[in-house]
Amino acid sequence: MVLDEATGLTRAAAPLCQLENDLGQHENPAVGSPGELAMSRVLLIEDDRQTADEIVAELVDRGFQVEWAATGIEGLDKARIGDADVMIVDRLLPGIDGLTIIEVVRQEHIRTPVLVLSALGAVDDRVRGLRAGGDDYLTKPFAILELIARIEALLRRPSENRDTMLRVGPLELDLISRTAKRGDRPIDLLPREFRLLEYMMRRKDQLLTRAMLFEEVWSYKFVPQSNLVDVHMGRLRRKVDGSDEQPMIHSVRGEGFVLRAPA
Amino acid sequence: MVKGSFSVRLPEFARTTTFRWTLAISGAFTLCVILMFVFVLGEEYSYLSSDVDRLNSENARLVTAETKENRVRRLNEYLQNDPRRVKLGGLFDSDGNRIAGNIENLPATLQTDSSPTDVSLIRVDAFGRDRQLARTIAHRLDDRSILVVGRNVQQFTWIVGVVRRALTLGLIPALCLGLMAGALLSVRGQKRIDAVNRKVQRIVDGELRERLPTRGTNDPFDKLAVLVNGMLDEIESLVRRLAGVGDDIAHDLRTPLTRVRVSLERACQKAGSLDELRASVDKAIVGLDQSLAIITALLRIAEIEHSRQVDGFRDVALADLVREVGDLYEPIAEDKKVDFAVKAKEDATVHGDRDLLFEAVANLVDNAVKFTPQGGHVELSLLRKGNEAVVRVCDSGPGIPIGESDLVMRRFYRSDKSRCDPGLGLGLSLVNAIVKLHGFDFRISSGPGCVAEIAGRSADA
Repeated sequence: MVLDEATGLTRAAAPLCQLENDLGQHENPAVGSPGELAMSRVLLIEDDRQTADEIVAELVDRGFQVEWAATGIEGLDKARIGDADVMIVDRLLPGIDGLTIIEVVRQEHIRTPVLVLSALGAVDDRVRGLRAGGDDYLTKPFAILELIARIEALLRRPSENRDTMLRVGPLELDLISRTAKRGDRPIDLLPREFRLLEYMMRRKDQLLTRAMLFEEVWSYKFVPQSNLVDVHMGRLRRKVDGSDEQPMIHSVRGEGFVLRAPA
Repeated sequence: MVKGSFSVRLPEFARTTTFRWTLAISGAFTLCVILMFVFVLGEEYSYLSSDVDRLNSENARLVTAETKENRVRRLNEYLQNDPRRVKLGGLFDSDGNRIAGNIENLPATLQTDSSPTDVSLIRVDAFGRDRQLARTIAHRLDDRSILVVGRNVQQFTWIVGVVRRALTLGLIPALCLGLMAGALLSVRGQKRIDAVNRKVQRIVDGELRERLPTRGTNDPFDKLAVLVNGMLDEIESLVRRLAGVGDDIAHDLRTPLTRVRVSLERACQKAGSLDELRASVDKAIVGLDQSLAIITALLRIAEIEHSRQVDGFRDVALADLVREVGDLYEPIAEDKKVDFAVKAKEDATVHGDRDLLFEAVANLVDNAVKFTPQGGHVELSLLRKGNEAVVRVCDSGPGIPIGESDLVMRRFYRSDKSRCDPGLGLGLSLVNAIVKLHGFDFRISSGPGCVAEIAGRSADA
């Protein structure tokens, strides 16, 4: 995999090896502004102890409060209280099936965002998970950063604001005239690049994984074999970040991309 | 003895359908024969009796017509010529005393001047004294004497006896023969079924090489066995193919996993700094991701191959799809300095799943761009040939060696020349699975470079 390492953010995978401490805070791209999401409550319903332990440890490291339920019944009880900010629900659970939990919770008008985890990767299954009321779907096995990125995306879901102008630092995107500017420099974007930039600007400071981008911006259901997203992102980056400008699009090696205002 | 215990202990053959049918048919057959005999006997009896009655009344009339004096003579004349001892006659006075004839005394049950009846009476003649069953009529004459005329009908009983003996001699052996045949057939059938059962049990236990026994007689049972054996052949070859896929998976997973293992081992022993350790771990993660991607791709192929969801098919405009794939891959081709042309002037519509077709075309382009060296060119075009819509991807890459065009559609097949190129070796088998699901044609040929075509019946033709 050929990835752009120019941004110096190559240490992003570090939390996976528990080496986080010797990194500068700003270099942890998944938690762009730690104060904002810390103390968010996560309800994890997952029957496999080892998987659950990994997820809990990672989330706690990132300042989340995690509650873990090992069975469907316990999970449903906790979910019904409705005090979690986000739920992670495994599909196959002893007792009550994960999708049933989501359906019941939704019937009780609890709108907590749900990330469905599943060992079943079929497209149909994904559709079923989302139809039951899940907000996102992740297939096992997954990279832990992919999970974190999706949890954070769910927590910071962009409000449906009617702004016609998006701004991140010097970057401006006019949704009506379909034009982009960085400072005074106009940026000429192809339609697909425009959609990509819009998606990123709505989710500034968030780690956006390749899979997320491919699903959301390109809305394709398959995982491409080539480094498609990287190449498209590379083009966008050349347009957004001029040679004498501070970079705004950062790649996180092996994981994805972050759009951030220059310091 | 409990009744139920009997039925439980019926021998094996008696419980087969064949035997039960034989039993039922034998029963019906016996009943028919008996009914037939009864009918014949009844007819015979009524025919004979009416004959006898006619004779009796004729003779009675002849005797009555004589004068009183001549009646005895007439009666004796009638009785004289009777070698078979069937004629009976008697004249009794009003008190019932015998005047003439060969009947010892007037039977008490005999009514005068009524319809003929069967009466048992005693015959007395030169040969002796016998009790005989006779069909008899009696008339009271003008001088109050009673004339009795009869005919021995012992022959009826004799006929009935013959019939009964015939039935016993004929029916019982026939019945036994039927039952034996039934038992034999069912035992034979049972034997074949048992043999098949044993084989099937072995097959269920995993002996996929076993086949059902056949005799080459071409009877229905044999035909069925041949059919089942054909099915087993197919299953066995499928299982073998799957096992082959398993071997392939093992092989292709082993390579990245071995790399991961080696790099981790080295890192564990040799890494002098945190950075070195991280670099190794990063490499290991890339290797694991590769392995996972292989598994995902395999599951995806299996999913497509097993899906039967043709009802989700819609009309798909191919020109639009082709342009979209073009947009997606144009930057990649440019990065690799490969000339990429998209030609879709004419539109064509096919019936199918747009996402899957997109994936198939994207895979072909992905492959073409991957295998075309720098400075080469790739062309993605949409053509119409008659009522066929063809999406064609040509490239100026190394092409596919002659004889390998079938192989490339197999899972994990990667031409030896390209073993070192990145890729999972699953792309074309994925395309093949998608094309098969749609009932389209997938053709790969070697021009200079490689030409891959997906051809489907266009829906608007």
